[in-house]
Amino acid sequence: MNVSDWLALQVAALLTLGIVSFLYKDNPIYKICESIFLGVSAGYWFTVLFWENMVPKLYENISQAGSRPYTEAGVPSLLYVVALILGIMMLLRLFPKLGWMSRWPLSVVVGATAGLWFITYMQSNALSQLRATLLPILDFQAMDAATGTGLSGWFNKYLGNLVILVGTSTGLCYFYFSKEHKGVFGGLARVGIYFLMVTFGASFGYTVMSRMSLLLGRIDFMISEWWPSLFSGWS
Amino acid sequence: MALTLFGVVLNRTGWVWLIAGWAALAGVAIAQPADMQMWSVKAQDRPSDAGDAVQLFWSPIAPAAEFICYIVQRAPAAEGPFETIATVVSIDTQYVDAAALTGDVYFYRVAALDSVEAGAADQTTSPADSLSAASPARTVDTIYTAVAGPVNSTAQWFNLRRLNQFLVIIILSAAIIYFISQARSGKQLYVRKIAGLQAMEEAIGRATEMGRPILFLPGIHDMDDVQTIAGLTILARVARTVAEYETTLNVPVSRSLVMTTARETIKEAYAAAGRPDSYNDNMVHYVTDEQFGYVAAVDGIMMRQKPATCLYMGAFFAESLIVAETGAEIGAIQIAGTAQPAQLPFFVAACDYTLIGEELFAASAYLSGEPRQLGSLKGQDVGKVMAMCALGLGAALLTLHSLVPGWPILANMADWVGKVFQVR
Amino acid sequence: MGFVLIFAFFIPHHPFDALGEDVTVFFDIVAVFAFILGGGNLLRMHGNHIYTRHKDRWFSAVTLAGFLLMLFAGLFKIGQEGWCGAVDQPGAWFNNIYTATFDPLQSTMYALLAFFVASASFRAFRAKNREATILLVAAFIVLLGRTPAGDYATDWLPDSLSIFKVSNLANWIMSVPNLAGQRAIVIGIALGVVSLSLRVILGVERSHLGTDKS
Repeated sequence: MNVSDWLALQVAALLTLGIVSFLYKDNPIYKICESIFLGVSAGYWFTVLFWENMVPKLYENISQAGSRPYTEAGVPSLLYVVALILGIMMLLRLFPKLGWMSRWPLSVVVGATAGLWFITYMQSNALSQLRATLLPILDFQAMDAATGTGLSGWFNKYLGNLVILVGTSTGLCYFYFSKEHKGVFGGLARVGIYFLMVTFGASFGYTVMSRMSLLLGRIDFMISEWWPSLFSGWS
Repeated sequence: MALTLFGVVLNRTGWVWLIAGWAALAGVAIAQPADMQMWSVKAQDRPSDAGDAVQLFWSPIAPAAEFICYIVQRAPAAEGPFETIATVVSIDTQYVDAAALTGDVYFYRVAALDSVEAGAADQTTSPADSLSAASPARTVDTIYTAVAGPVNSTAQWFNLRRLNQFLVIIILSAAIIYFISQARSGKQLYVRKIAGLQAMEEAIGRATEMGRPILFLPGIHDMDDVQTIAGLTILARVARTVAEYETTLNVPVSRSLVMTTARETIKEAYAAAGRPDSYNDNMVHYVTDEQFGYVAAVDGIMMRQKPATCLYMGAFFAESLIVAETGAEIGAIQIAGTAQPAQLPFFVAACDYTLIGEELFAASAYLSGEPRQLGSLKGQDVGKVMAMCALGLGAALLTLHSLVPGWPILANMADWVGKVFQVR
Repeated sequence: MGFVLIFAFFIPHHPFDALGEDVTVFFDIVAVFAFILGGGNLLRMHGNHIYTRHKDRWFSAVTLAGFLLMLFAGLFKIGQEGWCGAVDQPGAWFNNIYTATFDPLQSTMYALLAFFVASASFRAFRAKNREATILLVAAFIVLLGRTPAGDYATDWLPDSLSIFKVSNLANWIMSVPNLAGQRAIVIGIALGVVSLSLRVILGVERSHLGTDKS
């Protein structure tokens, strides 16, 4: 291991220990690690955005508009001048008298976001999910193919679709805003919140182990890479 | 021919011989080479597209077992020259030519191959070797269809395959707009209480009494996420209340565009509350775009400034657990709202109140109390009723069909309900 | 803009078919310009801390040093041969600083989740009311179902009760009631987004742009 790699390893280990120290309490070492993280990450993202967004998407498209009037996606290259104008209008915020112009690119962005997500959520979250939930309460034909004996067989044969339908419908009842959760409707909403609690509990339990594996990865780094390097040094 | 072969003998033996003769003739016909039977390809502009594709359909060649694949050929003229554009396995009898240019005229033919070598040899065909439409010729290992065309690909102005989605959107939007106009005309609309939103003012009041700041996190996504927009609309309401109470507001953000928008939002909220001089640009400050860098800084702010109230409204990911746990540790009252289903359990576990999914988007309407905004919530409820009715209808039809499979009308009706929600 | 993009989804004719992607690229470019404002805010805020001799001025100095160093190394591609190629090439200063600082910091913050999930579990699993009990039970079963200990604990159950083996029960919970709840949440979110998007497009909701006059 050369000296620069060895030094990088020591810095990585010290930063790891500094961040972990936060679990005890806030301390100057954590503050230093936090400050390094803020500065380096902000610089990292600006650089990446500059070289991967600004240069290829804006500069190259506009500067090469003469030789390449259309981009690979079929968009007129000079159309990116509009993006340049919107970006400059955004920067006019720095000048108090012209700051009002920065609302225009914000309006474009917000309006475009609203329009795009309207369709995306409608398709993927509403229609697809509803189509997948169109199930028979009892599928007599599939029952013959269902496996398992005793109570297990009963679960597999009868409960699946019924629980999904009841859970989805009562969950939607819980989110209903126009009626107070009282009486029969309140009972349905209560069943809905129980299903939501099962959902939350299942998600919680499912992610616990994956979180543990992240910690194990870090411990592995400290034990198998950093600790031996203290004794082996650099060459 | 049969009469000539077997004569017209109408006694019983004769009829038997006659029938046997026709059967023998049919067997001979089947045993004839397949090129003696006509098979064709149909080419048409693909509907509801941008004019960049042509659809081809052909009947399967018989006997199919002799042939291993089809090759699709295209030419600018009926005479050729034809070039091979695709090879299709023998079980498929359709192909979409997605390389067609809008407005250009094309001619197509399909060839069935019984060996790969024959296909390689037939990559291009000269006009002299091309087929006439009346009788397809047969080369050694290749059978060609008649030429189909001319066909040109055109762009359509409406995608009919998405008609169902269009109608659903129209109905839902009409319901929302209807209730907005109802509210505008003065009709009182009831909206049930949402605990997390009712606690918002109490939480802000708590921070004021304790003399500690309020921390608001609008999520870690940029303005191209609708959750961030929802978070900022809630920030506007919160900022107005904070301005009235003269509490300190701290809004660290992870995106520069969100910083710009949040500043505008809070500035106007303070002006609307009659306290424009109390606004300070430093209320909203950019931290870093990096997810865990942001949460490291937010944790530091929480531990050092010890805000009394923490509001998390927007798109959160793995960092949701870290901020919520840190907030719980400092004893802050926490109200969270996100539409990320995977993060809701952590907010539910660690926060005092959680706005679950849809409640986040309803929050700004709820907090404003403005009738037009509340009207839109009623429109949302129409969508839920539609969804529940569709689920009930679909379940009933499919269950009946499962019970009585001999009634195809039930399956057709259930299939139709499914098509309403089909996504293309 | 919103209406145009909604209707563009149903119009396959060029240029409407690619309008959504074009707008996404425009947004990326506007975001980079906005970053100049954000970066400027970072410099101003921490610079102010140093200038006014704030108690945290040394930490602000570290932040500024890290920011400017990374910016300098990346924008001018220090240590790289020529201007072509990705900015994070091996051997470049940018990549070395990333590997030595950014990566371990990010990984460690991520690893802290293990501790926080443990403390969240302790807080959540107190069964204060019926809802909390259901959450606790479901989480416990799914958690146990993903470990060998859970399999070992219920391996003795006969086939007729195999659904109650922890791993089978966990799978059933994940694929049936969990699925139902997820679908209800997700459908509700879609309706909420539709409603908010319409309010924004129609101008009923304008508070995020700083004007909320009726």
